[in-house]
Amino acid sequence: MIDLDLAKKELWREVDPSGALRSCFACGTCIVGCPASNANPPLLIRSLVRMVVLGLEDDLLNEDTPWSCVTCSRCEELCPMGVNPFELGLAIRRWQCRNDETRIPPGAAEVYKRGYTQPVEKADELRASVGLTIKPTTITERPDLLEKFQSLLMEFEVIRNVDYMFKG
Amino acid sequence: MRYGFFLGCNMPAIRPDVERAIRLTMPPLGVELEDLDGYVCCPAFGTFPSLDEDAHLAVSAWNLSLGEDKGLDLMVECGSCYSSLRTGKHLLDHHPERRERVQALLAKAGKEYRGTAATRHISDVLLHEVGPQKIGASLKTSLKGLRGVVQYPCHSLFPSRIVGFESCSVQPRGLADLVLALGAEVQHFSLELQCCGGAGGFHKSDRGQAAELARRKFDAIKAETQADFMVVSCITCLMYLDGVQHELSSSEAQYALPVFDYNQLLALCMGFPAAEVAAISTTPRGPMLRHFA
Repeated sequence: MIDLDLAKKELWREVDPSGALRSCFACGTCIVGCPASNANPPLLIRSLVRMVVLGLEDDLLNEDTPWSCVTCSRCEELCPMGVNPFELGLAIRRWQCRNDETRIPPGAAEVYKRGYTQPVEKADELRASVGLTIKPTTITERPDLLEKFQSLLMEFEVIRNVDYMFKG
Repeated sequence: MRYGFFLGCNMPAIRPDVERAIRLTMPPLGVELEDLDGYVCCPAFGTFPSLDEDAHLAVSAWNLSLGEDKGLDLMVECGSCYSSLRTGKHLLDHHPERRERVQALLAKAGKEYRGTAATRHISDVLLHEVGPQKIGASLKTSLKGLRGVVQYPCHSLFPSRIVGFESCSVQPRGLADLVLALGAEVQHFSLELQCCGGAGGFHKSDRGQAAELARRKFDAIKAETQADFMVVSCITCLMYLDGVQHELSSSEAQYALPVFDYNQLLALCMGFPAAEVAAISTTPRGPMLRHFA
């Protein structure tokens, strides 16, 4: 049983200060076309909206499903109430990261370290095999810029607070 | 016309034959491409956009400023890069206070975001700057007699207010028009607009169900069309729909529909060698490639 008297009524302000989610009337359009609604457990944006509006902080913190979004943005296109469900999913991820550093995506640290996530710098042979002799002009080729880029990212508190994850 | 070519990371690292095809096909159509010096991750939605909004916008602004410095718009093939860069610009341009915060930090790194460079998807450039007629006139071999199906990149459709270039986002026709320009017949099917399922976290959190989503698409193609090939215009759709067919195949059902990025087919039709422009795939392309032999 959920005791709503114990819920954090203002949770929505922490997650999405725009308050767009309060227009949701739970029609479920966001779920109908959502590829990740087929996942187990399913991503059910409508239920996440309820969780935020009701202030169920612990449940929200434990939800893995916002991370199974495919980012297709169908929900964003089709929501009749302007809730911006895709944006809300990202906002929930950010809220989780602010409250639980184990949520911080390892991909962000990879981008910090070398500028991107895929091993572009190791693809010379494959590239040459299809006639590409030029290296991609990524930041890896410009150590001076990479240093500036990393300093730029360290300006953000949520990153600076866990700098060991990024620099390690 | 001239664009800053934003490569992203999947294409140059894993599918450089697509990069080769783009670099070979666009200049003859009057589209010159310039590389962007010191580019970084778009950023992918699973990285900074999932962590901190200002950090997200700083990374977007970093990339957009590379085009601005050259006075060029950006051109992108990867759907995720396209959507991320468009979203970044949209947020920077509609939230002056965020833009100011980001700009102050960028200035320390010697960068400036001016908001002058748009990001265009390669399908948009091919459709609206080059045009099907010019494409048709550039071919040495047409796809006459062949039947194709298309996979629209979700990231080039939704949300249409930020990324759209189709007249109707839920009834797109651009990629089909581009395939028609190559002389092929385009066959339509019930799940044409279903997402490939290969982006973001879905296939990481539940690989089996993500594959089943793709199976439903391929089953619909089998039941409703006589497709010889599938055309995509996004590196994630390409890698996923090409690779997942092997995973789906068993003694009961075989899935072997050759998948191409649009520019790969265009390059083949222009007479460029398959060994350079369509060399990498999991699902064999033999039957299609023989058409060009």
